[in-house]
Amino acid sequence: MPPNAAPSAMLELICFGDTDETAAHVVAANLHAIMGLATDIRTGEPEPTAAYLPSRHQYDAVKIIRLLKQKAHNPPLRIGMLTLDLCTPILTFVYGESELGGTTAVFSLYRLMHRTPSVTYQRAVKIALHEAGHLMGINHCRSNDCLMVSAKSIDVLDPIPIQFCSACSYEISRRLKTLSSATEMRPAPLS
Amino acid sequence: MNASLDVMVVDDEETICEALSAWFIKDGHRVETALSGFQALERVAEKQFDVYLLDIKMPEMDGLELLPKLKHLQPAADVIMITAHGSIQSAVEAMKSGASDYLCKPFDPDELSLLMERLMINKSLRAENEALREQLIERQEIIIEGIVAQSEVMQKVFATIEEVAPTSAPILITGETGVGKDMIARAIHHMSGQAEGPFVTINCGAMSETLLESELFGHERGAFTGAVKARRGRLEMANHGTLFLDEIGEISSKMQVALLNAIEEKTFQRVGGNQSIETDFRLLCATHRDLSKMIKENRFREDFFYRINVITIHLPPLRERIEDVPALADHFLEVFVQETGKKIEGLTQRALGILAAYHWPGNVRELRNVVERAVVIAKGRMIGAEELTFLNPGQSECGFGPLTLAEMEAMHISASLDACDWNISRAAKQLGIDRSTLNRKIKRYRLTRPV
Repeated sequence: MPPNAAPSAMLELICFGDTDETAAHVVAANLHAIMGLATDIRTGEPEPTAAYLPSRHQYDAVKIIRLLKQKAHNPPLRIGMLTLDLCTPILTFVYGESELGGTTAVFSLYRLMHRTPSVTYQRAVKIALHEAGHLMGINHCRSNDCLMVSAKSIDVLDPIPIQFCSACSYEISRRLKTLSSATEMRPAPLS
Repeated sequence: MNASLDVMVVDDEETICEALSAWFIKDGHRVETALSGFQALERVAEKQFDVYLLDIKMPEMDGLELLPKLKHLQPAADVIMITAHGSIQSAVEAMKSGASDYLCKPFDPDELSLLMERLMINKSLRAENEALREQLIERQEIIIEGIVAQSEVMQKVFATIEEVAPTSAPILITGETGVGKDMIARAIHHMSGQAEGPFVTINCGAMSETLLESELFGHERGAFTGAVKARRGRLEMANHGTLFLDEIGEISSKMQVALLNAIEEKTFQRVGGNQSIETDFRLLCATHRDLSKMIKENRFREDFFYRINVITIHLPPLRERIEDVPALADHFLEVFVQETGKKIEGLTQRALGILAAYHWPGNVRELRNVVERAVVIAKGRMIGAEELTFLNPGQSECGFGPLTLAEMEAMHISASLDACDWNISRAAKQLGIDRSTLNRKIKRYRLTRPV
């Protein structure tokens, strides 16, 4: 890599519809700062209408993940970001959903909104980092001071500091190292 | 809580199985899925899970049909029924058939989390319960093992103890002085439902009536001269435990009435007090006396006798279970060798023959004292006949006189066997008895060929 060149992105943050761009930049910056995941932002992705569930007036997060996986992208990891109400076939709602140890995740600002934008951004950062942690293969953590704790409500989410516990941090850095070396060995895309 | 669960999801919809699996795995649980009841049963035959999530609506075998089959294979398993909002009635039916809970699709994330937390607590409590039960069984075995006895008659006593200990029925332990009635009482307590409670014992024969009354019922301050402060009695101390009244045959009629009232009413008053105190205990009594005979002689109250004698355990005297003598002697020898630090390896055949032939009026307690004394005076590595001469003070020059007929017989048989180099046929012929009689006597007197 030439000196001062931007590191090649490990993750692509894909914004659906008219997502708040500031939120996307804050999330991307934190993914890089906290987890070391250099992140590219892609905007303008159309709303995933195929994932809409009319009976529930919600979007199926699992289907959105499938849609994202169908599209080939350069960075090995991708996270979809939207402002629609997400659910899964079994849960009434989710803040985010991800493949454990996989490549793709999704999260929504829909249930994270606060009248103070900075609070909304903080919540978005926490959920994005949490889902990125799952992409690294990390399970839920029992520590309430770790981003990998399972937060089922805003009341639980808000007090969590923006940090991983030492055990999760260690696991993330170990897996990130493996991922980085695999990425470096991958041939560059033709286009 | 740091436990994780083995979960099986049974649902014919693959998306539900996948979504639930993903959720459980992220929470650190181990998950397997089955798309039908048949598939689930096939897997359960090989591996058992802590929790089963069953969809109620499935083709061929639905959740309600699968539930009893699973419970039959694994009664302690937690089964959660998954139902759609419209079929809550079926879920309620399932609860009546043994399901632990039900969830309506789609679930609230918090509800699912709380349910899993509860199931983890259940699992940990079950494991704790299991561990405590094992400890208790182990403890019971140790207690029973602590009572050294190999004879058939004592094995029957142990079987009775195991049968009656878990009940709350009062037990009367009878037997001569020194047979070990207190050890049996202790064993019953440890094997009973009151094992976690106190074991309170009192020897009724060792104190005067007034002292016994104060000991049993306690007293208030100033109840009598010297009662400078209030004191709890044994009845109060035994609450939620066991009260063992040793030498019950020694108490007066007045005390029998007072105790009868306390046992029946489960309340009593301290000496000098007027406040009723509640108490609940398991009653064990012991006596060396023939209480039936005492009733006939009007020395023991019949109503009290029937109250304390719901179950009787009779401990036979040592002379009636002479086959226990060698094992008991070895046990006591080990105890005193450890205590004294002496290097004694065992008892000679001759010594064992003497012990087996003795009539043991003082029973196990006497045997214990005999072995203790023998260990103290022993000079060599084995305890022989020389160390046991004190058993018969008017001894002859061979060291064992005057002997009982049984003692003489044991010694004579032992000598004949030695003379015939333990050829049973020859020894039997020399003794004028048949082989089977000789074998029976060898067994009875625990005679073994010297090494």
